[in-house]
Amino acid sequence: MKSFSRLVYPYVVWAAIFIVVPMLLIVLYAFTKEGNGVLTLQFTFDNFARFFSDSIFPNVLWRSLKLAIITTVICILIGYPAAYFMSKLHVNKRTMMVLLITLPMWINMLVRTYAWRGILLDVPVSGEIKVYIGMVYNFLPFMILQIYTSLLKMDPSLIAAANDLGANKFETFRRVVLPLSIPGVISGITLVFLPAVSSFFIPKLLGGGDFVLVGNLIENYFVSTGDWNFGSAISLIMAMIILISMFVTKKLDYESAEVGD
Amino acid sequence: MKKILVTVLCSLFALSLTGCGTKTSDVDPIAQYGCDVLNVYNWGEYVGENVIGNFERQYNVKVNYSLFDSNEVMYTKLLGGNEYDILVPSDYMIERLVEENLLQPIDWNLITNKENLYDGIMGAAFDPENTYSAPYFWGSVGIVYNKNNVDPSDVEKEGFNVLKNSKYANRVYMYDSERDSFMIALKALGYSMNTENMDEINEAYNWLLELDKNVNPAYVTDEVIDSMVNGEKDLAVVYSGDAAYILSENEDMDYYMPETGTNIWVDAMVIPANSKCPALAHEFINFVLTDDASYDNSSTVGYASSNKNVLEEMTAEGGEFDGNPAYLPRTDGPNDEFFKHNEAMKKVLSDLWIKVKNQ
Repeated sequence: MKSFSRLVYPYVVWAAIFIVVPMLLIVLYAFTKEGNGVLTLQFTFDNFARFFSDSIFPNVLWRSLKLAIITTVICILIGYPAAYFMSKLHVNKRTMMVLLITLPMWINMLVRTYAWRGILLDVPVSGEIKVYIGMVYNFLPFMILQIYTSLLKMDPSLIAAANDLGANKFETFRRVVLPLSIPGVISGITLVFLPAVSSFFIPKLLGGGDFVLVGNLIENYFVSTGDWNFGSAISLIMAMIILISMFVTKKLDYESAEVGD
Repeated sequence: MKKILVTVLCSLFALSLTGCGTKTSDVDPIAQYGCDVLNVYNWGEYVGENVIGNFERQYNVKVNYSLFDSNEVMYTKLLGGNEYDILVPSDYMIERLVEENLLQPIDWNLITNKENLYDGIMGAAFDPENTYSAPYFWGSVGIVYNKNNVDPSDVEKEGFNVLKNSKYANRVYMYDSERDSFMIALKALGYSMNTENMDEINEAYNWLLELDKNVNPAYVTDEVIDSMVNGEKDLAVVYSGDAAYILSENEDMDYYMPETGTNIWVDAMVIPANSKCPALAHEFINFVLTDDASYDNSSTVGYASSNKNVLEEMTAEGGEFDGNPAYLPRTDGPNDEFFKHNEAMKKVLSDLWIKVKNQ
């Protein structure tokens, strides 16, 4: 086996060039002043101070987190029952359902969001609701498929055993099915929450332009203002939050795995 | 099946033969210009249908034509080390590129068509001697409005202030950029759009907040074009060339340039300092300034040509934009201004603009 481990080298090189180096550059930009040559680097915390000195930026951050959390919760509420009933279907129908759910993903996300823009144009709801519709629509399949897979992997004899031991349908679900499907829910949360918190074109297209999120903020400071240092600082704050939330979900994952065993 | 395949192959072969037959003059670009590939970096939807193809055939070269959607994106790419031979940035960005020594001077002796250039846009403050830039398109920023739903006298009386008239709540498109929004607010208040006076800027900020509160506008960029063609809202801030297109597609729409002044801008061709192919770049500039190519550009895109013959032809009786008030910007507006490049102010405005949108 050991000799095969060399096969991992290409990925290590890939990750170093395309993930580690850019991350280091972002860290460097975030802690330096603008217009520095490599030789005259001046380190500073100003970019971070600027972020927290004005309530507008933390507000935008909070709004992004709120949007991502609510999107994730809606995805679980819609996705869990959908996945549950899908997993109960006959195998042919099941395959068909999976196909139907993945089908829209064959079309580019941006194109689908433009389509929603057209559909929702004359619907008299606020931009915020339109953004939620677009977000849930785009991320729901990830949630359904994760939960569905975990439900499908479950050993049916466990349910039979629960029934034999006198548990009714609800108790079986609550004490056997639900705990065993939590890992699926958690990987669903990871797949929905992380892209949702940093998404910027869905809010931009559906929110009518006055729905600014962290993603829009970063885009604005990199592309339009050209203030890469402040943009990097925002990206770094964002990356920290993502890391923390990943850590938390990982921890939940372990705990549920222990319960499952 | 085999038969079909043979037919397809035959016709492909025939096509490729005719393709070769009609190909190009016998210019040897390598001998003449030292290169046979030209890298052009231009705005999206900003070129005539046949301009690039004709240039390639006439000079027997290949043009790599790529697109940007803002001056800042172009600048970022250029600084990122991408090599281009022709760029088409706006006035204030040209000013910045010149300041940072990123452009090379144009040798006007090589531009035999320079006589075609319209005098009204030559020698503007961003490049007083046109040392570095050859105008491509020019225009203004104004208000497109639906004549049936908006009282024209409101627009004429109030100018940019009509945008925050609560009578038209929920029917307004604002342009989502700090530059254009603050230009509108400052001009509505009678100030210079290049002001550095913080009191004036705060006043403009409050003007924009009031607009946001009064009419709940949608902040858009290029989406405004299709939306106004479809008549989705009644008032919109639009660039003149896009307005010319909207007006020609939807006859309910009209265009107005406020008397209190607006932004007059010029997008011009420049040659980056690191161009590997300046000789061919000069040929390209010269080619674009021919009447044919300029006509094709202006007719396809709708912006005012930098070529005076084309301007005349387009606006003459029976011309393509005869009677279209948006096509030809004014050059005599006493309050009209060009943007000046000002990095510090840009940051201030950018932060304020985010606040406006977050109210």
